[in-house]
Amino acid sequence: MSQSCVEQSPYCGADFLSSETLNRADEAVAEVFHMMFGFVTEPVDAPCPTPPTPGSDDRTAVVGFSGSMRGSCQIRISSPAARAVASAMLGGVPIDEDDDSINDAIGELCNMLAGGWKNAIPALSSACALSPPTVISGHDYKVHVRMPSVNLSRTYRFDIHCLQLTLHCEQVEPPGE
Amino acid sequence: MKGTVLVVDDSAMMRKVVLRILKMADVDFESVLEANDGLEALTLLRANSVALIMCDINMPVMSGLQLLQQIKEEKLAPGVPIVMVTTESSEPQVRQAILAGARGYIRKPFTIEHIKNTVRPLLAA
Repeated sequence: MSQSCVEQSPYCGADFLSSETLNRADEAVAEVFHMMFGFVTEPVDAPCPTPPTPGSDDRTAVVGFSGSMRGSCQIRISSPAARAVASAMLGGVPIDEDDDSINDAIGELCNMLAGGWKNAIPALSSACALSPPTVISGHDYKVHVRMPSVNLSRTYRFDIHCLQLTLHCEQVEPPGE
Repeated sequence: MKGTVLVVDDSAMMRKVVLRILKMADVDFESVLEANDGLEALTLLRANSVALIMCDINMPVMSGLQLLQQIKEEKLAPGVPIVMVTTESSEPQVRQAILAGARGYIRKPFTIEHIKNTVRPLLAA
């Protein structure tokens, strides 16, 4: 029998699109920001504003999911916000703009958010593994996902900053016959 | 506190965070060793004695679980408490780590209280 339709990875259907996905993301964001940085977070409707200084950098961290869900968790924040996160992680120590530890902090933040989210979903908790984080920095870039995917995105405000979290769930083409 | 703590994590930032929180939890050691992965940790353990190991699970080169197996095989750090500090907290993973020799398990994100409640009893034992 030929399979012409796109086959979804096991979690990418109604489960992924249910309200539970973003509710668990809200909880993961609130928990990580409160416990690790002492920030209160609030989901907001509008996307993060463009960086206040023209040409200033954004940072994006990506952690991949494999197993019962194939896809990724991405966070995107401005460089000043990333610096605030790194500084808070170290207990308020000032951090230079070009300090490598900022990327490290953003990678770890994404790792904790991805882990916190998937651990809160019983179908994924032990059936889905995380990849090490990758961090991209620069301006005027787009992150493209090669496979067709279902995406859910939410913006959070913390302190004077903003973070955008996107969950991608891949749709996988079955092998040809 | 006397002795040395070994912190194993591929994130230098997370190693700093673990050390900072240990200090805030009054679990402060005379000296600190840091390793970026399980293999680096093994090299350090073959040459040094330590009083506590705080270890991530997901790391390149050699994972935390592989490190636990190797420590067991080589009979390194006998009696030294090993605490896993990781985002992976599913029951099978926790069970696997405990079976492989971990004495404690802390999920990221964590607070000072988590460190106090998990690490201090192990050091007092």
